[in-house]
Amino acid sequence: MQLLRAAFSPNRTLSARVMFLFAIAWAVSGCLIWIASPFAVLPGPGAVLRAFGYLWMHQGMSRELWASFSLSVQAVAIAFGCSLLIAYATVLPIFRPFTAVVSKLRFLGLIGISFVFMLIVGGGRWLQVSLVAFGITVFLGTSLITIVQSIPSDRFDYARTLRMGEWRVVWEVVVRGTRDQALSALRESAAIGWVMITMVEGIVRSEGGIGVLLLNENKYSHFDRIFAIQISIFLVGIAQDYGLGLLRRWLCPYADLTTERRGA
Amino acid sequence: MIATYHPAPVLRVEQVSLTLGGNVILRDVSCMIRDIVGRGQVVGLLGPSGIGKTQFFRILAGLQQPNTGRVLLNAAGTPVRVGEVGVVMQHYPLFADRTVLQNCMDAGRRAGMDRAAAATRATELLTKLAVADRAEYYPALLSGGQRQRVAIAQQLMCSQYFLLMDEPFSGLDPEAVDTVCELIHDIAGMHELNTIVVVTHDIRAAMKVADELWLMGLDRAADGAFVPGARVQTTYDLVARNLAWAPDVSRRPEFDALYHEVRERFRTLKPKPIT
Repeated sequence: MQLLRAAFSPNRTLSARVMFLFAIAWAVSGCLIWIASPFAVLPGPGAVLRAFGYLWMHQGMSRELWASFSLSVQAVAIAFGCSLLIAYATVLPIFRPFTAVVSKLRFLGLIGISFVFMLIVGGGRWLQVSLVAFGITVFLGTSLITIVQSIPSDRFDYARTLRMGEWRVVWEVVVRGTRDQALSALRESAAIGWVMITMVEGIVRSEGGIGVLLLNENKYSHFDRIFAIQISIFLVGIAQDYGLGLLRRWLCPYADLTTERRGA
Repeated sequence: MIATYHPAPVLRVEQVSLTLGGNVILRDVSCMIRDIVGRGQVVGLLGPSGIGKTQFFRILAGLQQPNTGRVLLNAAGTPVRVGEVGVVMQHYPLFADRTVLQNCMDAGRRAGMDRAAAATRATELLTKLAVADRAEYYPALLSGGQRQRVAIAQQLMCSQYFLLMDEPFSGLDPEAVDTVCELIHDIAGMHELNTIVVVTHDIRAAMKVADELWLMGLDRAADGAFVPGARVQTTYDLVARNLAWAPDVSRRPEFDALYHEVRERFRTLKPKPIT
């Protein structure tokens, strides 16, 4: 009873074990709702499981999933590098107008500019990578620029009082000082990039991938297979997010020491 | 108590003026800190809010260049450069990604110490400031008081003798104020050349800790109107008044009398806000 009261009390922090039990309870509830769903069009867990087996054994789902995941990793890595460069470039006044324009590119439609990338990089894998990397960079770059611009001026003064030259100040305050926030932004953007993959694979079908598999099954309205693919995309996304969370904790163990609810 | 002074001052401010965005902030500020024989110096810089203390503080630290005038350090009179004067800012910033010891050691390395010397000096300072047991902690895990001590230790690693402290009594209860006063006394006592300037609104605390008070404010023209640009209007030599360096100084009637004198003077230094 006390536990229930605590669960519904605002801003309460419960032990990891209790939170794990709550997560299990939510998952079981979700499964029960799914099993008992009155919507006939919604395939049951058994059908989805069978579809998953079929896709895995006969449609090369593992290969497609790997193709998509490696595409995502490649694009996210490129986007992270480009975004960091763009954000750090704001310390130099000469680059500020350029970075301001880059951050506005997020209002461009991805499909509309795919032909530009096709002309630049040709088709195939590199077109996929460049489209996803572009889609991520314009958002991640904007987030990182905001992080850099919101550093209080006294942080710079503080570094200067420790006899640091201006480049050293940039390294300590802008690069090292914001790396925990940069990794948080990366985590969000990697999630956006992963769900963007299916769209980009739809634009460039020649290279295959989970997005192509999804579109093919969508065409024939194989709902059980569509569900199996969606669940796979969901689970890989969660695993990727968890991995990036661990990476952030490992690289920035100091970052969440004072937060009340430490995220996964 | 009578103090004797070395002939050359440890810090001189000569005709410093500052105008920012067309507003005259400081006008011909001149003052100096004399070098007391046998102990360090503590100056309390007082003034109403918005009078220009922060800008003056930044000029003393070398973080801001004045339009005219200069700040000279030591008997040799070398112009101040950023990094030569330690600055303990109000919220005690530290590098969050480094432990307390690493924060101090890095400051020592910036000042030219080798790794071993930096480690020895950092441990020594952290011990003196009673935070050696927090050496392996990240700053996020420190209390406000511990953070202040670590920030002081870090700045002492780098700057040696000069320390500027911005509002070190802000938000503290009376007991904590006394503790910080003792800490400042201790730092001043560590070396004869140690010179601490405390910027504060807390007149009582400044009087407890300082051997000289500087009161910043605006001049008045003949018609009584305030003239833009603050200056050090009055200095109070607490040593000459026998109100320095005694642990029970705040209990003396002369302390209260001076407190009221400073407070009255304080009220005349800036236009009253329109309510």
